[in-house]
Amino acid sequence: MSNMKNLLAASLLALCPLAASAHHSFAAEYDAANPVAVTGTVSKVEWRNPHIWFYVDVKDDAGKVATWGFSGGAPGMLMRRGINPDAMKIGDEIMVEGFRARDGSNNASGGKVTFADGRSVFTASAEDVVPK
Amino acid sequence: MRGKLKQLSLGVATLLMCHSAFAADAAAIPRMASGVPDFTGMWAGPGFQHTGTEVDNPTAALYDDKRMSPFKSGADKTFIRTTGDVRIDDPTAVCLPNGLTRQIASPYPQQWVQTDSELIILYEYMHFFRHIPLGEPNRAHAPVFENTYMGDSIAWFDGDSLVIDTVGLREWLLDAFHPEAGGSRWHSANTHVVERLTYTDGTNVNYEVTIDDPTTFTAPWTQPWAMQRKQTWKLFEFICEDNNRCEAGVCQAADVQLDDQ
Repeated sequence: MSNMKNLLAASLLALCPLAASAHHSFAAEYDAANPVAVTGTVSKVEWRNPHIWFYVDVKDDAGKVATWGFSGGAPGMLMRRGINPDAMKIGDEIMVEGFRARDGSNNASGGKVTFADGRSVFTASAEDVVPK
Repeated sequence: MRGKLKQLSLGVATLLMCHSAFAADAAAIPRMASGVPDFTGMWAGPGFQHTGTEVDNPTAALYDDKRMSPFKSGADKTFIRTTGDVRIDDPTAVCLPNGLTRQIASPYPQQWVQTDSELIILYEYMHFFRHIPLGEPNRAHAPVFENTYMGDSIAWFDGDSLVIDTVGLREWLLDAFHPEAGGSRWHSANTHVVERLTYTDGTNVNYEVTIDDPTTFTAPWTQPWAMQRKQTWKLFEFICEDNNRCEAGVCQAADVQLDDQ
């Protein structure tokens, strides 16, 4: 049932591509010319204001693990889109598409999340540039 | 003569049809016991693409520069500001307030509570609020001792339209126009804002915002927007400073990232 709810949310979201601006300037923190896509395992979810953050352990070809942080929308904004705190759990395998932080750290806006079963969810804030 | 009579009767019929349509809409408007429209409820303001369902799309609503009056001489230079200082270029990035004109278009919900004598607006974004006394049209504002982000608002009804009149605003952002688009846009401390809200049916409201900023523009200009009632929405907490991890473009590592440092 929970999966059905998540699937419904994802379907709704797929119909609602997000436009850009609210809390702050996306451009002040992230570089729309520097896209990033990683696949890995969710290691932490911070369901907090002003934007949720989720962290993904990503293994490189040599087996070294780096933890990427991704910023999403505000909790309230996401819940109104049908994305609840249980939508993403520690241990989930996900692919995240977004845009890298301007400071060059392993942080990014996390506009789009695709789960192992193919479900795709737009987690971006209203002000974020969203991956196609 | 017969042709003129035919035209006249067509005109009367059209008027009657229009009047009937208006009457039908007027009957759908929620009203206070006094008969004035009641705006109490949860609203998706101009910062949403309204769908008619409970899942609206939050989006940037910027004032349309094509609707703006011409600038006063030299005012174009103070209207758009690009300084390299985030407190000027994008103050909300460091959790400074939106200010009234940008808050109106914020892509977060707002809850309105109306009584016979006052209107309270609660904005989810940054927890801002407005306490707006209702009363006689065009009455004087209370003395303004200090200009503020949200200004001093009073309101009245003009027929079925609610008019909210605001003065006492500090010089601040006009809207969410951002540095990537060339800089932030500012109104002056002389700005007078008139919001005019009119139900078009029981759920939808025309939301006109008139910006009267004689320091910046040669004449007042009006932005037509809309808001839509949402039956199932509620306000959530929004705490800008709670976990603003990449404030002003410098990201703080989370505990799970410390081993990567």
